[in-house]
Order: sequence, then C-alpha cells, then structure tokens
Amino acid sequence: MTNNQRLVYIALLAAQAVIISLVERAIPFPFAIAPGAKLGLANVITCVALYTLSTKDASKVVATRLILATLLGGTISTFMYSASGAILSFLGMWGVKKLGPNKVSIIGVSTTGAVLHNVGQLFVASLIAKTWTVFLYLPVLSFIGILSGIAIGISAHYLLEHVEKLQYYKYLREAKINYSMK
Amino acid sequence: MKEYVKMIRPWDVIMMIILVLVSLFPVIVFSYYQSGTITEDTTFIAVISQDNQIIDEITLTGHVGHEVFDIQIDEHEINTIEIKDEAIRIQGATCSDQVCVRTGFISQPGETIICLPHKLVIEIKTSNGESEEMIISS
Repeated sequence: MTNNQRLVYIALLAAQAVIISLVERAIPFPFAIAPGAKLGLANVITCVALYTLSTKDASKVVATRLILATLLGGTISTFMYSASGAILSFLGMWGVKKLGPNKVSIIGVSTTGAVLHNVGQLFVASLIAKTWTVFLYLPVLSFIGILSGIAIGISAHYLLEHVEKLQYYKYLREAKINYSMK
Repeated sequence: MKEYVKMIRPWDVIMMIILVLVSLFPVIVFSYYQSGTITEDTTFIAVISQDNQIIDEITLTGHVGHEVFDIQIDEHEINTIEIKDEAIRIQGATCSDQVCVRTGFISQPGETIICLPHKLVIEIKTSNGESEEMIISS
C-alpha cells in the first residue's frame, strides 16, 4: 500500500463509520428493556480497520469517527460517553486480537469491543453520578452487547472475505506481521 | 451456517465467558454487600441529586398516593418526576437522549435513573435508622 492509498483508505473507513453511526442514531431502539443500549453497528468498521491496518492507523480511524460523529449532532455528554467507550473497547479489541488468529477469531474481537464499550460508558456515568451502583445495569447491556457483537463479528468476517480490496489489505497486513516476526 | 460455526476459535468462547463473569461481578458484589442489611425496619429512600448536590430525599417505603413535580435545571430545562406509591420515575424531560424517561419506574435499592445531559441522578438507598437506635438503647 502506498502512503496515499493508506491515507485515502483511512479516510474512507472513517467516513463510513461516521455515516453508520449517524444512521444508527436515527433508528429508534426496539428493546424497551434496555434504554441507552445500542447495536453498535460502527463496530464493523473498527473490526475491519484492526484486521487491515496497523494499530496506529486503526486508532486514527476510531479517533476521526469519534470526533466527526460528535460534531455532526452530539453533545459534550455524549462525547464523554462515547469517547471512554471507544477508547476502552479499542484497547480491549487490540489486546484480544494479539492472541493471534489461531486462538481467537473476529467474533471474539468484536464481542469484547461491544461489552467493553458498555463498561467504558458506565464508567463515565458512574463518575458523573458519583455512585458505582450504575454498574448494576451492566448485565443487561452486556447481554445485548454479546449478541450484537457476534452478529457484527460475522458480518465483518463476511466483508473481509468477500470484498476484494479488503481481502488484499488483510493479506498485506498479515504478510507484514509475519515478516516482522522473522 | 456451518462455516460460521467452524470459524469459532477456543478463545472466542473463553472471552465470552470472561465477559459474562465480568459483567455479573458488580451484581454479585452488590448483593453480597446488601445481604443481611435489609430487615423489616429498612426503609427505602429515593435520593434526587443534581450536579452532586442533593435536592430532595423521599421516603418510598409506606408512601401512598400519586405525586408529580418538576425539577428546574435551568431556564429551559425541566425534569418531571412522578412518584406512584413506592416507585419513582422520571415522567418527562427536556433532555436530548430521553434515556432517563425510558428507564421507567424504579423501587429497589441500588437502582438508579440517570439523566446525563442534566447531571440529574435518582438513586434508591436504604436506611436502617430505627434498628440502629434500638441496638444502642438496649
């Protein structure tokens, strides 16, 4: 990948993630049992970025998405919410992916991301509310998070298998990792 | 379907089990912490606070009837709170996400309603005031 290709690719992923999170915001969430829960569709892009770009570039995608999605119709409180969620889930996904493709598939990576996103959000909520009892809400969110994490892992896997360019970038990334290991 | 099942690696399952345990951890700690403290004399109190300042405390145990009142955050922002018998909820709010309204009624200790944009928190706490006094006097 040349430098320009890489830049355009990062920008494309970030743009797609912003659009996905805006569209997702417009969908009224169907489950009344868990107010505040979200499907986290933008997680697809984070997964794809982790598997096709270096960690540094993938974090750029996440940061760009975060800032742009906030500027396009968020508030300071939603920014704090989603920032801590995004940072924690990115670190978790990166760590889980480090286990290697033989031990963990993209499903495990996206599920970790989904649950840790909730943990990060509740952490900010508990800081603001000054009470840790907010975390009692975690099991409900995690249940939905794990289900949507599995679905998103499968769809990200599908994208990586069937979109030619993504396939190629994933191959490049894996080749680079193998090369640096030698 | 088969290819997706084949795709699952051992650590996927291990991670999911870890995640479930982690998310249940606060509930386990809380119920351990609460067990034994709830007796016949325990009263549940709804503490309403805004920006970490306690605005109101309402004793829910034994509360009968229906009450609706407004909490003014600033000139334009209002949270309407409804108390119905021993449960409390935010009936309406001018906030952007409406998460607090959709939380619905709460009545059990440890439950919270949070309106993040307004920094308004309703938390149910327990009080054993009477029983403690009895121990001291005996």
